[in-house]
Amino acid sequence: MGVFSEAVEVVCSPAGQPLRLIWSGRTYKVAADPVRWYERRNWWDEEARAERGRGPGLVDSEIWRVQARLTPRSPLRTLDLSHDIRSGRWRVVRIHDALRESA
Amino acid sequence: MSFTHLHAATAFSAHYGVSWPEEMAQAAAADGADALACTDRDGLYGTVKHLRACMDAGIDPIVGVDLAVLGEPDDAGVRPVTGRVVVLARGRRRGAGYRALCRLISDAHAGTSPSAARKDSKPVGVTMAQLASRAADDGGGDAEPLLTVLVGPHSDVGAAMRSRSYAVARTLFRRWQESMPRAALAVEVVAHLSAPGSNLSLAHAVRMLRLADEMQLPAILTNAVRYVDADGAATADVLDAARALTSMGRLPDLQPNGQGWLKSAAQMTSLAREISREAGYGTAGASRMLRDTEALADACRMDPVQDMGFKQPVVPEASVIGINTEPMTELVARCEAGIGRRFPAQDPAAEARLRNRLTHELGIIERLGFASYFLTVAEVSAMITGMGVRAAARGSGASSLVNYLLGISHVNPLAHDLIFERFLSRDRSTLPDIDIDVESAQRHNVYHRIFERFGAERVTLMSMQNGYRARGAVRDAGMALGLADEDIGAVAKQLWRFSARKFREALAEKPELRDIAERVQGNRQLDLLVDLTERLDRLPRHISMHPCGVILGDTSLLDRTPVQPSGLGLPMSQFDKHDMDPMGMLKLDVLGVRMQSAMAYALQEVRRLHPTKEDTVRAGAHPAGPAGQGPDYVLADGSIDLDAVPLDDPATYDLICSTYTLGCFQIESPGQRELIGKMAPREFNDLIIDISLFRPGPMKSDMVRPFLEHRHGWAPEVYPHEALRPVLAETHGVTVFHEQVLRTFDVFTGCGLAKADELRRLLGNEDAEPSVEDFFRTEAAKRGYGAGVIDKVWGTLKAFGSFGFCKAHGAAFAVPTYQSAWLKTHHPEAFLAGIFEHDPGMYPRRLLVAEARRMGIPILPLDINRSGAQYRVERVPAVPATPGHPARPEKLGIRLSLAGIYGLSAAELRRITAGQPYDSLADLRARARVGRGTLMRLASLGAFDSLARDTGTGASRADLLHHLDTAPPRPAPRKYDPIPGQLALPLGDTELENLRPELPEPTLREKVRTELDLLSVDVSAHLIDSYGPLLAELGVTKARDLIGLRNGSEVLVAGIRVATQTPPMRGGRRVVFISLDDGTGCVDCTFFTEAQEKTGPLLFGTELMLIRGLTRRTGERGMSLQALEAWNLADTASLPLPRPQRGRLVGPNSSG
Repeated sequence: MGVFSEAVEVVCSPAGQPLRLIWSGRTYKVAADPVRWYERRNWWDEEARAERGRGPGLVDSEIWRVQARLTPRSPLRTLDLSHDIRSGRWRVVRIHDALRESA
Repeated sequence: MSFTHLHAATAFSAHYGVSWPEEMAQAAAADGADALACTDRDGLYGTVKHLRACMDAGIDPIVGVDLAVLGEPDDAGVRPVTGRVVVLARGRRRGAGYRALCRLISDAHAGTSPSAARKDSKPVGVTMAQLASRAADDGGGDAEPLLTVLVGPHSDVGAAMRSRSYAVARTLFRRWQESMPRAALAVEVVAHLSAPGSNLSLAHAVRMLRLADEMQLPAILTNAVRYVDADGAATADVLDAARALTSMGRLPDLQPNGQGWLKSAAQMTSLAREISREAGYGTAGASRMLRDTEALADACRMDPVQDMGFKQPVVPEASVIGINTEPMTELVARCEAGIGRRFPAQDPAAEARLRNRLTHELGIIERLGFASYFLTVAEVSAMITGMGVRAAARGSGASSLVNYLLGISHVNPLAHDLIFERFLSRDRSTLPDIDIDVESAQRHNVYHRIFERFGAERVTLMSMQNGYRARGAVRDAGMALGLADEDIGAVAKQLWRFSARKFREALAEKPELRDIAERVQGNRQLDLLVDLTERLDRLPRHISMHPCGVILGDTSLLDRTPVQPSGLGLPMSQFDKHDMDPMGMLKLDVLGVRMQSAMAYALQEVRRLHPTKEDTVRAGAHPAGPAGQGPDYVLADGSIDLDAVPLDDPATYDLICSTYTLGCFQIESPGQRELIGKMAPREFNDLIIDISLFRPGPMKSDMVRPFLEHRHGWAPEVYPHEALRPVLAETHGVTVFHEQVLRTFDVFTGCGLAKADELRRLLGNEDAEPSVEDFFRTEAAKRGYGAGVIDKVWGTLKAFGSFGFCKAHGAAFAVPTYQSAWLKTHHPEAFLAGIFEHDPGMYPRRLLVAEARRMGIPILPLDINRSGAQYRVERVPAVPATPGHPARPEKLGIRLSLAGIYGLSAAELRRITAGQPYDSLADLRARARVGRGTLMRLASLGAFDSLARDTGTGASRADLLHHLDTAPPRPAPRKYDPIPGQLALPLGDTELENLRPELPEPTLREKVRTELDLLSVDVSAHLIDSYGPLLAELGVTKARDLIGLRNGSEVLVAGIRVATQTPPMRGGRRVVFISLDDGTGCVDCTFFTEAQEKTGPLLFGTELMLIRGLTRRTGERGMSLQALEAWNLADTASLPLPRPQRGRLVGPNSSG
């Protein structure tokens, strides 16, 4: 499993569920139902400020685990995407089959 | 569709909850909920606030608790915590549900240690059996239970489910089913949508929902709320770290994420759907879960009045205080008896006034049904006096003639024009407050006696909430961030009386924080520290015993409040003073006042020293009295009845006017000394006014200056209208007292005094004040007052009404003020001994020792045979004249107490005093069994000097110390102990006798240093004396010489800081008062903004100070300093020493 962080563009359903990703200039289609959770951040190590009234997104970030592929016949790739609630930006934070692919 | 949150902690769950009940109730109501639960951890700490918040928000309160469950005892007999559950009280059961909840919580705390930090103590929690027995209806059988237990993700079952131990979870749940009534059980489902596998994940919730389905029990959806909105999650992290006394980074069980807020109905509904879909129950499952949740919420709605006795006063049964007749009849009879005692002879007019007033008061008391309340307080008051403990009522209770007649208060309300309605009126249905001051040293005994007298089922101590203030908040926020202790300490040390919420603002503004502000710049962790400190501001940290509140009730008291152990060993209610009124609880404030102990001690010393009336009268220079034998208040055995001393002694007022009032109650602070210097009180009413003026309100609103100008006749008195002359005459036209506000309302509107007090209470209340103003203007206009007058009078009421002082308070306070000044005037040695012993004031003891020295009272050094466990007054024999020294008459001095020695244990102290006197060091070692450390401390303080002198040795104190340090004390074997009855052979101290004089005696400076280290008092000389040459070189002026200088002279003063105050000031600009003591008196220095800027961090952190400033005359006897600049006297290099001049360097002979 690779751990890094890379910007990605995500197209969502009206309910906020990812449908397609545009990643490294290529468009992936989300195949299965993605899983969503809120993951803790060690904000005291990462943030410069934590003022009262800062709002959501300090203590956790929204993570979507999606299975996506380029074409109906290409292999499924499992990716964890982080969604910053405040900026609306998405990043790829984990690629689960990275090791297998590089092997 | 609305959703009811049934699991929500408020900020009153110390170190756990984040948001205040008001915020929660408002947020719930705004989202359309019509009910909200408050389930604080371990108690009902926030429940009453929740009740009020819900009533204000127009929703139904639900009441519960989040409790730990205790399992089977382990080998050591300790029951471990197996998990936590939520317990909700069923509502609309005529209080039965609430009663069961109170008792259950008291069960949880029974046998625990009052300090949560004790690891070995029983944890707060209940067993399943306790839960079951409290949950079952008193009637037993299949009746609806009184409590509902939510077995959720934090229970033993939930923990097993989290780790997918399904079989274990089922077994555990079966135990719940076997022990609890089925109807009292439900499964709690919580999803914080945390990462798969972690606590409160979606899968975790799914398993709990399936369990409920399998067991055919209702599944209750909650969000295990800790904060009102997502913003609070970070604060919860910090609180978790503070609770565990570690940093967030090292905390193993941080909340899995930040989703525990009071989510909206829409969010909760969608959560329900997500969980149900995942569990395979579809939307029907979600609807069922939401329906079950609302059904339980409905069953738990509380009726504040029916269920919890909201605002219904309960007092002890009359039979407990031995009254079998109608309480009102008894009260009338006791008042009649009081008239005979308090008013033996009266002229007819006064008699009529008295009768009118009494009828008036009794009428109101009867109408409110408070007779047993007054009888109860009288009973407590009589009980305290019967114990021989000094007691005095304080507060508005002094406004009542009934209180005076019952012996509860000692101020005659008729003599001081005090208004009963300020205390109690027919329009007030809440129990009034009566506060009783007792000797602080006797307070705990008094509490125990109250418990004995009324029975443990009717009495409990009140608690108080201790919230985060700036320093504590910085410390805990720093710890949570994992900062180094010394870094946190450096910041915390500089924080001084500002609210933590404004930390960042303070950094920008306050000069003493300049260094910190610079460090924060560009330091990420310190920047975070500032934010987290602000987040913690005011959040409750723990409850503790209130310093004075005792709750008295009838046998139902413990059904109405949960109790837990206090540090005193007596049970303590979980409710604080704000909860008393709503819960209809009678609170009696029995306040320990150190000054009362100090005065009691002084009186005891007077009696010990002067065994006859003649002795005491001579020693105290008391007047000859009616029969020439001395006044009646000095009794035949030489003791003094302090409460009988007339309040008009000229010598006492002379002392007060001199401003040498250190040690006197209420009037020793720098600000008060300045005020009495200006005001020059000459009679008791002046003292009442003085005490009432020295309040934040009057000081801030510039009432003092016009008052003083009128008092001294520098400016003509002005009355807004002639009709107000009788009301305001005693304060020369300035409105000072609540009583004057009440009368002003009455004069202008004819509203009556009861209504006037209601109006006064609304002043300053933004919402209500406009209606008061309308009423005032309309009614005053009807009575023909002109628009200009009305404007002016309203302006005064508006400005002063909300913070003026109750004259009854002032009068009650002024009594001990006068008494302490009287004792200082007539028996200063006994008085100061009492002050040393009980340390009542704002100053360190060493300043009062300096005061004794200033007054010429000898401070007698520690002596192993003469010093006891207390500061004692001792006769210092007269000294006949010798060449070069004039004769000195016998004097009284104060002997230092062994109890003041640092590091001397209570047991050692007991053994030493029990064995006195000692004839040698060996004798002391053998009989008092003191260790070498103690021997050396005693020796270095000179406690053996007299023993050594008796042996005629020429050895110094240093020689003795050296000897003690090198020769390990080897006590003689037991067989050589004298057998009982055998007299020790008086051999003298061969050990001391044989000491060889080798080392020089320590210098005075060394001795003083030792005294400060070990006693915190400089005994042999004033600490500042050792700086004499340096101060002379600097050209420093002594405190006692300031008064002779011209106003506005620039001087340098130096001394030890004895007080720092930052009183609120007009215009909101901070002023800092620093008082220095230089051995000749106190210099009070005022630092305005610019001087604060210049002084920076020295402002609050330096002990020994040098201050440059301008003299400012404050009255005939008063001179203070307006500071310009300050230095740390100990930092010699920084001092503004005069530059050496060429002429001086070469000496006087070669000049010219």
